[in-house]
Amino acid sequence: MPDRKRALWAVAEQTRGKLASVTPEVLGQARRLAAEAGGCEVAAILLGKDVGALANDLLACGADKVFLVEDPALELYQNDTYGTVLHRLIRREQPEVVLFGATAVGEELAPTVAARLGTGLGAHCTNLALAPDGLLTMGVLGFGGRLHTEMFCPDRRPQMASVKPGMFPPLPREEGNGEILREEASALLSGADIRIRTVRIVKEEPEGMPLEDADVIVAGGWGIGGKENWRLLTELARELSGATGCTRPALDEGWTDGEHTMIGTSGKTVRPKVYLGFGISGSPHHTVGIKDAGVIISINSDPRAPVFECSDYCVEADFRKILPLLLSEIRRAKVPA
Amino acid sequence: MPELKFTQSQEMLRKAVREFVEKEVKPIAHRIDVESSFPADVFQKMGRLGFAGVFVPQTYGGAGLGQTERAIILEELARHAAGLAMALMTHHLGVEAILAYGTDEQKAKYLPDVATGKKISGLAVTEPTGGSDVAGQLANASRDNGHWVINGRKCFITNSSNAEVNIVTARTGEDAKGRPAFSAFIVESGMEGFSPGREEDKLGLRGSSTGDLLLNNCRVGEGSLLGGEGNGMRMALGLFTKIGRTGMAAIGLGIIRACLEEGVKFARERVIYGKPLAKLQAIQFEIAQNRIDYEAARLMTYHSIGLKEGGAGADAEIAAAKYFATEGAVRAAKRTMDLMGGYGVINEYPVGRYLRDALTTISCGGTSHIMQIIVAGQTLN
Amino acid sequence: MGELNLVVLVKPVPDPSCYDRIEIDPATGALLRQGMPAVLNPADKHALEEALVLKERFGGRVAMVSMAPDSASETLMEGLAMGADEACILSDRAFAGSDSLATSRVLAAGIRKIGPFDLVLAGNESADGGTAHVPSQVGELLGVAHLANVIRMEVGPGGSVTARTRIENGYIEVRGSLPMVVGVRREINTPRYTSLMGVMAAQGKPIRVWRSEDLGVNAAEAGMEGSGMRPGKLSRPDYRRKGEILKGSHEETVRRIVAILRAEGVLG
Repeated sequence: MPDRKRALWAVAEQTRGKLASVTPEVLGQARRLAAEAGGCEVAAILLGKDVGALANDLLACGADKVFLVEDPALELYQNDTYGTVLHRLIRREQPEVVLFGATAVGEELAPTVAARLGTGLGAHCTNLALAPDGLLTMGVLGFGGRLHTEMFCPDRRPQMASVKPGMFPPLPREEGNGEILREEASALLSGADIRIRTVRIVKEEPEGMPLEDADVIVAGGWGIGGKENWRLLTELARELSGATGCTRPALDEGWTDGEHTMIGTSGKTVRPKVYLGFGISGSPHHTVGIKDAGVIISINSDPRAPVFECSDYCVEADFRKILPLLLSEIRRAKVPA
Repeated sequence: MPELKFTQSQEMLRKAVREFVEKEVKPIAHRIDVESSFPADVFQKMGRLGFAGVFVPQTYGGAGLGQTERAIILEELARHAAGLAMALMTHHLGVEAILAYGTDEQKAKYLPDVATGKKISGLAVTEPTGGSDVAGQLANASRDNGHWVINGRKCFITNSSNAEVNIVTARTGEDAKGRPAFSAFIVESGMEGFSPGREEDKLGLRGSSTGDLLLNNCRVGEGSLLGGEGNGMRMALGLFTKIGRTGMAAIGLGIIRACLEEGVKFARERVIYGKPLAKLQAIQFEIAQNRIDYEAARLMTYHSIGLKEGGAGADAEIAAAKYFATEGAVRAAKRTMDLMGGYGVINEYPVGRYLRDALTTISCGGTSHIMQIIVAGQTLN
Repeated sequence: MGELNLVVLVKPVPDPSCYDRIEIDPATGALLRQGMPAVLNPADKHALEEALVLKERFGGRVAMVSMAPDSASETLMEGLAMGADEACILSDRAFAGSDSLATSRVLAAGIRKIGPFDLVLAGNESADGGTAHVPSQVGELLGVAHLANVIRMEVGPGGSVTARTRIENGYIEVRGSLPMVVGVRREINTPRYTSLMGVMAAQGKPIRVWRSEDLGVNAAEAGMEGSGMRPGKLSRPDYRRKGEILKGSHEETVRRIVAILRAEGVLG
């Protein structure tokens, strides 16, 4: 089929009928790649039970068509069932590119499918480009964010990549008139070797504003020194209607609200308008996660802290002095004169 | 003469110890110094990993290694917490006393506990009259109905309030020439008439406790006599050299390395006149001097231990190593403070502690004057 | 349940504390790793710890398998000192340039050569490359159940497995049975420290080196030829910003910060 449009696929992720926040990001990027290369169509693949309502969301997020596979056996994610369905669909449709969100689920599902297809897979990509000839450039970070490598999969298809959450902004929603293709799930699942059973998926939805949605992030590192001081950070974040973030060492010390607040290579990539960092030394593991922030302000008593190099504004001071003053100044500023 | 080279397993051992020290000891080093507290829980962990009984045969629950491996452990510990290294080094004095001089019964009774760090040990010789003046001690023990009754006051005793198995020396009569004879006893904490006394507030090495041990009609059984009657002096002097001074040399060496590494880190990171401090030649000289002291102290320490392990007397070499490494630690700490400028005297940085620790090592196991007397004596004879 | 045959996949990686010093050779564009000592990949220690705990409970053997140059034996000694019984290095020039799938093929061949296995454990990802692909792909290639991101795991007497895997803001609870391949996250346990006794015992433990012909891996399956992925240009990402120092008293500094917040339109 020489005149057939090249297909770019985005594998959607949903839990209990809710799309993962990375899915619109992946779709948006697939749309941009399609425009870049020309002559491409974007398809989303949605698996689950009673998730048909989400298909329209996927069209609105940039898909030209949605492959919808619904079955009770797909209610809860499990790599044997999901892997089998995806593998068979990809074999049948032969898309040029298949993208996954590099979530925990994507991190398992993508290599599973790639192994079955015998093709290459780029991991946790932070940028992607598609040439007119269909070759995908996959930019990946290694060595804790210190090394950027361009990867290619020149002679196997499809080209597969997982996309690091938070890297690509989703497109504005546009109610599309794409096509929803309902697939016969039992055929795609028949004879699948299901070796593990998912008992349940437990989501502990965190309190407070998610880091991804915050205009202001108040982040703390190891220098904060304890839970007492951490409370001041949370207070400041609340005062600014923002979110609290942390580094790996602060998380390990148990001062923070949990893993969902960690920023960096093994945590989240954030893009707030303003990022305020307190007591953060600035290892690349962390700073790679804030590179897209609008303005970075760092407060650290150590003038040699590497974080100052990647900050817009540097305050060489003890955060214990600055934080309380800042809180009262902000409260005063917010009172209408 | 062959190069001084550690075996592959010694290098691995150093790596394993370093990992433990960086994760478990470095984070508490500042606190135990400020609070002057001995971290018993960390000592227990060290015991389970084999540090407490490094040179004790495996049949008694030790690691079955030797004094070189022990020095590696002490150096690595002292790199971050010389005070805790001091507690371990003193523990080894008591362990070696039982291992080298104990009867089979005594070894079977005490070694499994002290080699695994379940019980802490120590050696109590020093009295208000002095430490190196072993013959001047006044504590005495006399026989009474199949028991020994010990009286006296020991002071400046490391692990005084933590040790459960104490080796205590006391005067037990006179020898054939009419000179005082001394014997050693194993005295366990909790025995009637035995108690720790006041604790000292030390300048450095504050991660170990140091204080008095009081013996007030302390009755111990005949089985508590260690190494035979009248052998206490020989035993104490032997332990001072083989365990005490080698240990202090290793601790000094660890402090020098701490100074060297902190100095390098600071010189690389601190920017002055638009470039790192390390680019200034004056600073390079300080770093070079620290390195030279480290290299020399390292060779002297491990070489003298090697000689002793090989069966040589090595009293002068060991005394020289103790002298050089501990004095070198003082020099290195001073230099590092100098190169750090104002930061050097801020207690957020560890160099002030290194200097206090280094100064304190001078008096442990014989002062620098005593070391020179030993070296001179061995050289002139 | 009888004794367990446990395999731990390990990778020597350049010491993560040295990643600040990474340089790229301006002439060749290749990565310069000089002066970066190799260490056992940190996540792999958690995999080894889990294996050692299982061995303590059920008995059996723990074999480490690593695709690495011959010189990796030094790093693998660390694992032997922690308590593994043997190490197998899969080393061949033909393996150079392997992507995650080709690496997984070599590892799967190494695991098969050791013999029947009950459980293969691996760190979820390596500190250097960090694809996190290997546990899933080795599982696929061995044709057994596999899990990534495991944070809790219990093996029952009959070989049943209950596990939790970490997902964003929650976890998945699964049931399965041995044999299995799992990628573990660091939350699963705290690796033990190496004891002096362990260091001594390691000296007598076997380290085998297997080449491609020992493994029956042909050139088309491994290395560049067996890999879908090809690396292109390397670069060091530049995150530097202007770094203006806010000078003055604390009060003045705070007023500047508030002014910046207002200018960015985030002061409500």
